[in-house]
Parts: sequence; structure tokens; C-alpha cells
Amino acid sequence: MFNPPSPHEVKILTRRFGVQNSHTIDASLAHQGYDGLKKAIAMGADAVINEIKASALRGRGGAGFPTGMKWSFIPRTSPKPKYIVCNADESEPGTCKDRLLIQNDPHSLIEGIAIAGFTMNSNRGYIYVRGEYRYLIYILETAIAEAYKHNLLGQNILGTGWNFDLFVHSGAGAYECGEESALLNSLEGKRGTPRLKPPFPATHGLYQSPTLLNNVESFCAVTHIIRDGAADFAKHGPEKSGGTRLMCISGHVQRPGVYEMPLSTTLPFLINEVGGGLRPGRTLKAVQPGGSSSPILLPEECNVGLDFDSLAKAGTMAGSGGIVVLDDTADIVAYALRIIRFYQHESCGWCIPCREGTTWLKKILERLNQGEGTMKDVDLVGELAKNMFGRTFCALGDAAAWPTGSIVKKFRGEFETKLAAVQARQVPAELVNIG
Amino acid sequence: MANLTEILSAAKAITKGMGITFGEMLQPALTEAYPDGPPQFQERYRGAHVLKRDENGLEKCVACFLCAAACPSDCIYIEAAENTDQLRISGGERYAQVYNIDYNRCIFCGYCVEACPTDAITHGHDFEIASYDTSTLIYRKEKMLEAPQAGKASLAYDSQASNGTSGH
Amino acid sequence: MATTTAPPTVINAKLNGQDIQTKPGTLLINLTKELGIEVPAFCYYEGFSLQAACRMCLVQVNSSPKLLPGCTTIVTEGMVIETESPLVVEARKSMLEFLLTNHPLDCPVCDKGGECELQDMVFKYGAGESRFVDIKHHEPERPFSPVVYYDPARCILCYRCVRVCDEGYGVNALGVVNRGVLSEIAPNRGDQLNCDECGACIDICPVGALTSNTYRYKTRPWEMKHVGTTCAHCSNGCKTTLGVRNDEIMRANNRDSSGLNEEFLCIKGRFGFDFNHHPDRLQSPMLRIDGDLQPVSWSKALAAVAAKFNEVKAAGGKFGIVASNRTSNEENYYLQKFARTGLGTNNIDHARTGDVVTLVDALSGKQGKLATMADLYQTKAALVIGSDLAQQHPLLAYELRRNWRHHQARIYAMTPGPVREDKYAAATARVAFGEEIAALEGWREQLAKEPELLILFGDSIKGASLRQLVDFGESLGIPVKYVALVDYANSRGAIDMGLVPELHPGFVPSGQPGLTLPEMLDDSQLDVLWVVGANPLANRSQANPKAFVVVQDLFLTATAARADVVFPAASAYEKKGTVTNVTGEVQRLTAAVKTMGTKTDLEIFGLLGKEMGLELGIWSPDAVFNEIRQNVRGYNVTMPILATGGAAPTTPVNGKVNVETRSDLVHSAGDTLFTSGSMTKYSQVLNTVAERPGQLYKPV
Repeated sequence: MFNPPSPHEVKILTRRFGVQNSHTIDASLAHQGYDGLKKAIAMGADAVINEIKASALRGRGGAGFPTGMKWSFIPRTSPKPKYIVCNADESEPGTCKDRLLIQNDPHSLIEGIAIAGFTMNSNRGYIYVRGEYRYLIYILETAIAEAYKHNLLGQNILGTGWNFDLFVHSGAGAYECGEESALLNSLEGKRGTPRLKPPFPATHGLYQSPTLLNNVESFCAVTHIIRDGAADFAKHGPEKSGGTRLMCISGHVQRPGVYEMPLSTTLPFLINEVGGGLRPGRTLKAVQPGGSSSPILLPEECNVGLDFDSLAKAGTMAGSGGIVVLDDTADIVAYALRIIRFYQHESCGWCIPCREGTTWLKKILERLNQGEGTMKDVDLVGELAKNMFGRTFCALGDAAAWPTGSIVKKFRGEFETKLAAVQARQVPAELVNIG
Repeated sequence: MANLTEILSAAKAITKGMGITFGEMLQPALTEAYPDGPPQFQERYRGAHVLKRDENGLEKCVACFLCAAACPSDCIYIEAAENTDQLRISGGERYAQVYNIDYNRCIFCGYCVEACPTDAITHGHDFEIASYDTSTLIYRKEKMLEAPQAGKASLAYDSQASNGTSGH
Repeated sequence: MATTTAPPTVINAKLNGQDIQTKPGTLLINLTKELGIEVPAFCYYEGFSLQAACRMCLVQVNSSPKLLPGCTTIVTEGMVIETESPLVVEARKSMLEFLLTNHPLDCPVCDKGGECELQDMVFKYGAGESRFVDIKHHEPERPFSPVVYYDPARCILCYRCVRVCDEGYGVNALGVVNRGVLSEIAPNRGDQLNCDECGACIDICPVGALTSNTYRYKTRPWEMKHVGTTCAHCSNGCKTTLGVRNDEIMRANNRDSSGLNEEFLCIKGRFGFDFNHHPDRLQSPMLRIDGDLQPVSWSKALAAVAAKFNEVKAAGGKFGIVASNRTSNEENYYLQKFARTGLGTNNIDHARTGDVVTLVDALSGKQGKLATMADLYQTKAALVIGSDLAQQHPLLAYELRRNWRHHQARIYAMTPGPVREDKYAAATARVAFGEEIAALEGWREQLAKEPELLILFGDSIKGASLRQLVDFGESLGIPVKYVALVDYANSRGAIDMGLVPELHPGFVPSGQPGLTLPEMLDDSQLDVLWVVGANPLANRSQANPKAFVVVQDLFLTATAARADVVFPAASAYEKKGTVTNVTGEVQRLTAAVKTMGTKTDLEIFGLLGKEMGLELGIWSPDAVFNEIRQNVRGYNVTMPILATGGAAPTTPVNGKVNVETRSDLVHSAGDTLFTSGSMTKYSQVLNTVAERPGQLYKPV
């Protein structure tokens, strides 16, 4: 269900991981389950929002927008229905935290959504689950049914007179639907393409009504913040990035896995102490610190904190918390191709630079990987990435262009070496014809 | 004295002139014996037009009308039609059903050749087009079209019959 | 009362270093358009929802580190905008480079070549050379319907077609399928379009992705002469621009957005011109010799008719003249003059399709009560009674829909069956023909609350019920305007020009008795039946089978087949003149083509009058229209508007008509989008696309 924990972990969101039958409501209730909801109801809506603001919780989906601020933007008194939507469309390569949260502690998520529902005076919530996570839908639906039985969802919840229904909705496997407005379109039964912003989902979201949209981990964090207080959470991170985060370390480390670490953790600490370091005799080549969308870091740039601001300062981003470590055996050209293949496949086709740009980049990188092309093509990759960046309709184009641009810029030499090597037939075929 | 100088310079001039004459007498003649013999052409000579075929024997012309648009004397007339699976005339979607050049008006400027995006229209070397009857000077496509090469597909063919496939 | 700061009425900004002022809420791309600065865009299309998908209109704005799309950015106070900075120029170039990666370079065979927006933009903003050397993605072309073809490779996915179909026409037949670079436009249901077949998607396509089967590969845009005229079919009077090559109409559209319909056209306007080239067109006069109609010369035919007319006139015989719903105002005016002064008869009538006479009479003494086309787009509320607008009056339906989309107009629909207005109407009611007036009382309260109202009514409201409707409208206490719906291109003009026995031109009572259309056919004493552009004998026979029948028509209709003399007439696309549309606006016809052997009806009247020795005045369209302007009330229209291809509103009579009009004869033919009276038969396009004809309800 999950990797063995690390002694360095601070277990807040993952506190119930390892408890017998942790996904059941009985196990959850035995471990302070739904105490947060009860406390929230006692506190009142304004106090809940203030508490979240005080916790310095930042959205765990990728953009890192302060959650408390987002909650305060929702017009709670609007006559329109208000919706709570949980983004469980976790598809970023290198990231697999939401899956564990849902699998091991679905009630923590349901509780977080219920707190949001109560705060926003909403009567309806949706969990949009990635299509490939079909098995999680069963877990979620069972958990929701349990919560209904315990009057934690449904009519007149805990005697407050407030009604809240929660539904699970399956996506069809589009990465783009993790983008909030595309998710809303998809949820409405439309084509999963992003919407024009403004208006933002906070005021014109699902069915043009005020909608609160958060990531699974954010909702889970809310549960614990409300139960244990903001200060208890905030203390684990720097001033503006409070709390702990589920960090997914993968690639060339000895103990890859998902670890809940304070946001004050540094990247070298995570790689060496938590992830068990590189394999013996290997040296670090590069790290992608925030999922496949983040610009790559060279070893000498790796001495950074893993909070949102430190990584932004280092020219990359914290993203969804998927840390990919590459050692000296990694073929960076193949890696760039692998990334762009993903984005090319997932581009929704709405805007020109993303639709055509990712396709063109893929074609060039495929050629380069097979040794066809010149250094001029490598420069062209960099230029196309530059031309795409910041000019696409949504962030998917940026997510494709940003890492690609950084790889070409930082590893130009690797491309040169590989081109020469493939042309001299010194590269094994499986590395040439990847896919 | 003056006379002698004059005589000498005259003799020199004559010698020089006759030298060229006698020298040229030994060179091959440039004068052509046309119409008794065939005329010689530079390769880029702009004669009557020839409509080309591609390597499959299909007409290169796709009836884009650019030659007609480029023509300063407005002597090209085209009617376009669509290729079908049954009747494929050109390589593109469209072909020239009618392609006329009015040689009463053509000034052989070559703009049509320059405008042609498919290199379908070219200048041939035929120039003997004078006629007492101007109505014969409107050349139809059939007259200008290059003959299909031996062994290649002919003017129009049924692609279904010849290839056994259902179209392109 | 809390004091609020008034919103600013003017926004100051800087555009390319120049100080400019604009209204609050102006889109950046509209601002630049107003100032004559081009910001290129594919997906932005005024009047439709915003997409921001093509990223061509990216501009530099001081408030953002990124380039912003001009089509979604609203100009704010103090904004500094750069539309030609090196960064913007470079961004445009790169967008075009991206676009061209998968766009085929088949301009020489593409129908759009020469009028392609992508071609223009690449020429102006694009790079000289392509850096793309890989293989382009290609999908084969496929037909969406008998008129619409789609070439996915050329498509740039600007979604204009999807929007015009859904938002503009309310049809929603097109959508997008697949993802990423494989995305393509596709019919929403199945692989074929089941739609209005209006072809708006073809015209709005900036590239050659959507092409029309009737025009494909036939010619190139610059090879055609473009002639602006008025559509020959229904009464809405759309302006259409005909592309003509070698005396043949190749296509029709209205891409210059001139005229009252802007770029709207339905299938009849865009593809229904093909009747003009139908092989059955009459090209020679015909005379019945030994029982058979045989081609003869014009002079022989004219002489035969003139002799017979003079003979009947001298003997005091009975003429019956059936006029047309399609001939021009000039022809109508000249014909009634011919009948009344030349032949001395008042037996002139046409197939009446709307009770305009009673409406004018009922509204006597009131100002500004007849709506114009512009009112349909501007009115705050509209009531549709007894007509399926989308089928019978597509432009009116389009204008109402546009009004609702842009101004949230409230539409009320009272019809016997479901109509397209139901989707967005404020209220709908299913009411059988004849029961509308009673049912309207139920809406009185709601309608009286509207700031203004525009009432459109079909042929079920006529005579007494029309007077009741006007009483109802005038009792609401709000400004109400009316439109009496009529059928064909000049149905309105036929009434205005006095093609009924009870009225002279300009709603002046004729004061003499005259036979109406059914009376002529029922009269066993009728000596001559003269039919101009009509087919009264389509479903019935004449009471006097021995009557001398003269027919002027485009085709050998049932009536023409029975005739003793047939004159081949020119169509509306082949003549000069004016027509009046359903909202009483006069527009010009321009001769675009000529069919050998035909003459315009006006010329036939003139020559016949001359042959008979009558003094009816010269028969040039300009001279006759001048006479109309002087003699017909309401037709003293502004000439420059007409001359420049605009629609000049007529100012109708404002007084009692004082005549017992035969409202009972008013009867709409109930054409659909795919029919146009007897012309339907001769339009190949209308016949191939009509998948579900006869959807329209008609009274039993």
C-alpha cells in the first residue's frame, strides 16, 4: 500500500497510514476521525478560513496558491448554489501522493471536503478522480457510504440542519483535466478543455456557480489543521509555506517512495537521508524537483529548500511534489523525449502553440534521439520551447516548454555527445528506440 | 614623307581587317540555314508552351489559375474540374478541363512559367505558329500537352482498374 | 444612502506610444480595430464567444509580464499597449510557424487560395522560410453533407464554424473530436451533418478546411466578378454577393457583411441560385401552333399576343391578370399600369401571403408602428405568433437569436408546434392556428411589463383577428411594433404596388370592381388569362378552358404548359430593379448574369405595350422607379442608400386605407428552409439536402 516510512518523516497527513483497516470509518473514528469537522462546525465559517490562512497552507496541486486566500474568495452568501470540487486527477509524472491518501485514509479527504462544504455553505461536492484510478473509486464510494451512515454526510449533518452530498466522478484519462477549469468542463460533461479566465472558478465555476476547487492533499491538510490548530501545522515549514508535504521521490535513489516531510526540508537532505542516497558509485546528474513540469536542476543548483518560494528562487518550481533524481547513467536526450512525448499526447488541442509546438518538439527530439539531426536542431528545440512558453492558453504548454527549454539549455553538451555517439553507433538500440 | 606614312597605316589597317576576315573564314559558320536546315536554340528560348507531365504520366497542371493571373496580355483561359477516383488527370485534387492559350495575344514573356507552382507550363522551342487564320491560333490543352512517355500511364486512366485499389 | 463613485465614462490608455481614449469595457482587439491598427486573429470573431485559442493577437501590456491575447484583454485605465514591439512581432511569427507545421502548402489547389486569412497573415507576418522539416500529419478529406466538405489537414481549429453553427444559427451541428494535434471538427451526431445546410461554416472558415461542394475546384476567387444583389427566394431580403464567371453564378455569399443581413445567408441564399442554370430554363418564346407549343421568334410571339389583346379589348372582353410574388417593384408597377390604363381592367391579383393591408389600416394614425430589420436586433422583447421563423424566415430568426445573445432580449413564441425559439424563449405556448388571440390574454400581464414589444405574426392572423391583435398590442400600454410575415422576395412589394383589385399603388383604394385570383379562375366568361411569374394552375383548372392564356416564366410550369403563348423571362439574378422585403425595406437587384433568349418581365411588358400601340411610358427600370418614387406613397426613399446596395426603409401610409380587403385570400405557402415555391423543383441543391422535408406544421 505504501513504502516503508522514513524516520525523518513528520506524520500528520499520513498519521493513520499503517493502522489496521485505515480506510474504514471505524479505524478513522478511533483515530480522531471527523473531530476536525465537529470542531469546524463549532468554530463557524469565518474562524475556519482564518485558521487555514494562519496555517500558511499552500495548494498542493502544483501552483502553490495560498489555500486560505482561495477559500476567502468564494462568495459564500451568493444566492447561487456553491460547489466543492476535489481535484483527484493526479496525473503528473513523478507524482503519486493523492493515490496513497485516498487508498489509506479516504475519510481524511471526505472530512476535509465536508469542512469546506460547511464553511462555504455548500450542499454538494464532487471528487473528480482520474480515470486510471478506477480502484480508488470503489474505496471512496465505500467510505462515502460509511460517512452517510454516520450522519457525517447527507441530510442534517450532526444535527446542524446543514445538508451536504458528496459524489465521486471518474475522469476519462486526460492529464489536461487536472487543470481546474478543464476539470470543471469535464465534470459538466463537456470536452475537457480549459476555460477562459477570468472569470475564475471561485465565482463562475461548476455550472457557472461559485466553486471551491482544491487538491486531495490540500483537503486532507485542512482536516488536520482544523483539528490540531494552525500553529501545529505551520511550524513545520518556512513562514509562507506552512506544514508538511507528501514528497514523492523517484528515479535513481536507493529508497524511492512517498514521504511526508516538513516543507523546511532541503533537497540534498531528501535525496541523501530520506531517499537513501544515490546508488553506490554514482554521481548526481540532474533533479526535477516538482514533477515533470518543472525545470531541471543541475547538481550544483540542488542545494535548495523544498518549499515553494525557495524553489521558485532557484528558477524552478515545487509543483506537485514529485522529485525525479537522475544519476550519471541517465540519458538526458531520451529523458527530454520522454517528457515531451507525454505532453504531446496530453495536449488538448485547444491552442496553437501547445498543440503544434509539442508535436514539433516531439518530432525533433525523436529524430535527435535516433541521431538524426544537427546541433542546429537542438538550438531549434530551445527556441521553440521559448516561443511556446508563456503564450499558451493554459499552463500545459508552459509545463511542456519549461523543462524542455531548461534541459536543452543546461545539457547542450549531452545532446552533442549523444548525436555523435548514435551516429557512430555506440549507443545501444534500446536507448535509441525508446517509447 | 607624309604620303609614305599614310600608305603604311592604310596597309596596316587593311592587313588587320583582312586578318580577321581570313581568320574567321576558318571558323565554323554561325549562320543557320533555316528554313532549309533545322534552327538551333538556346535552352532557355521561349517558344510555344508545353504542358508537362509528372513521373506517373499525370498532368502537372492543377488548374490553379496563377498563370492566367500573371499573364499581362490575358491570353490564358482555364476551366477547372475535380479529379475523381475513376478519372484521375492530374496529381492534385483539381485539373484543367480546358486550358487555352491565345497566341494572337501571347507575348512570350514567360511570366506564366515563372508563376507556375507545379512547373506544369514551360516554354518549348516551337516558334512556327504563324497562320493566315487567327482562329487557329487559340491552342487547346491537347495541342500543348506533352505526349505520355512510353511505358507510363496515359492521359487519363482509371486508377481502380489499373491499380486495383480504391483511390488514393 | 451610500455614496458610490460613478464608474468612469472614459478610459485613458497608451497604444504604441500614442495617448488614446476609449469606452470602459472595450476589448483591446476592438480598440485597435477602431483605430485602424491591425492585430491579427483567427479565432476572434466579433459577435461570437471568445476563444483565445489561436494566440495570434498576443500583445504586450505593461500590466503583465506575459504577452496577453488582445481578444480577451479589456483596456483599463493607464494601460500601456504595444502591438508592434519586437517581442509581439516575433510571437506572431512563431505562432504562424507553429500553424504551418501541419498545414499543407497546397494553396494552388485549395479553394481558399487568394482569399485565405492564413495566406494573408503568413504573407504579412510570417517567416520567409520554414524550419519544419519533419513529416506533416495528414488526414484525408471527407464530406460532411452534400454541400459541406471538410479537409482536416487544412483546419487550424479556430472553432469559428462550431460557434457560428451553435451560437449564430442555433443548430449546434458541429463539434470537436479527438485530442491534441489529432483534434478535428466533426458533426455532433454521426458522421453526417443533419443541419440547416446553410453553409455558414464554409464562409466563416478562415482557411480552406470547410469547402462547398457546389463551388469546389471550379474557379479561383480572383477569376470571378462579384455582384451584390438581393436574394431571389424568401421575403427576408438578404443581400447576397454572387461570384460570376463566364455568365455563370459560381457561388453566393456575403462575406463583406454589407446589407441588412450582414453575413447571414441560409441554404437558399448561399446555394439555391442553381435554378438559374437549370437545363429546363425557357430560352425561346413559344406559341401554340396546331395544339402544340412551338418555339417562335420574339416578334412573332409578341405580335400574336398584341393582336389577341387588342381584339379582346376592342370586343370589351374580360382580362384576368395574375401577378407575381417575385417580380421587381418596377415590373409590378408597370404591369398594374398596363392592366388599368392599357387594358382598362381591374382584374389583377396575386397570391396574397400576408395581410399587410389590414395591418396598415388598423394602425392608421399611429407613428413608427411597422418594424424594420434593425428593430429585430434592437428590441427588448419580441412575440412570435404562428410562424416557425427558423424555417420560413431564417434571417428574422437569426436576428432575434442574435439580439437575445447580445442584449438578452426576451422572446415569446406562440406556435402550434415546437420551434427553435423554444430553446431560449422567455415563454412558449403551443396554440393552434386561429386560437392565438384568446391565448394571448394569458400573457397580457407578462407582456405589459416589457419595456417594448415587437410582434411578428404569420398568415393565421388576418382580417378580424389581426384587428384584435392590434387592439391587444395597443392596450398593453408599451410601445409595440408589428411585422406581418409574407412569403417571397417581393410579396410585400406586390401589395405596395397595387397588384390587387381593391388597391392602386400606395394603398390607394381603386374604387372599381375587379376579379380576385380565385374569381378569375372560376370565371367561365374569362377571355384572357395573363400570368406573370406565377403558377395558379398548379393544382386546379380554369373554369373557361378556352381562355387565351399568356405566361411569362422561367420554366415550363403547369400553367405555362397550358398556355397559348409563353415568354421566357429573366430571373431576379438577371435583372435590374428593386424589391421590398418583409419589413418594408427596398433593396436593389443587380443583373449578374444573362441567360440567352430571355427578356426581363419589364421589357416584355414594354415591348407588348408598344406592339399594342399603347402609351405606357418608357420601360427602363430607372425611369419606372423614378415614377414609383413620385407616385407611390411611402416609396420616396433615399437614393444613395439604394445605390450603394443598402436597404432603404419605406414609410408606409399613415391613415385609414378605407377598403374592404379580401383577407380571406391571404394564405402562406408554408415554405421551409429547403423549399422555395415552384423554384424548389429546379434547384438541385435544395433537392439533394432536404433530408426531412415538410417538418413545418400547417393548418389542416
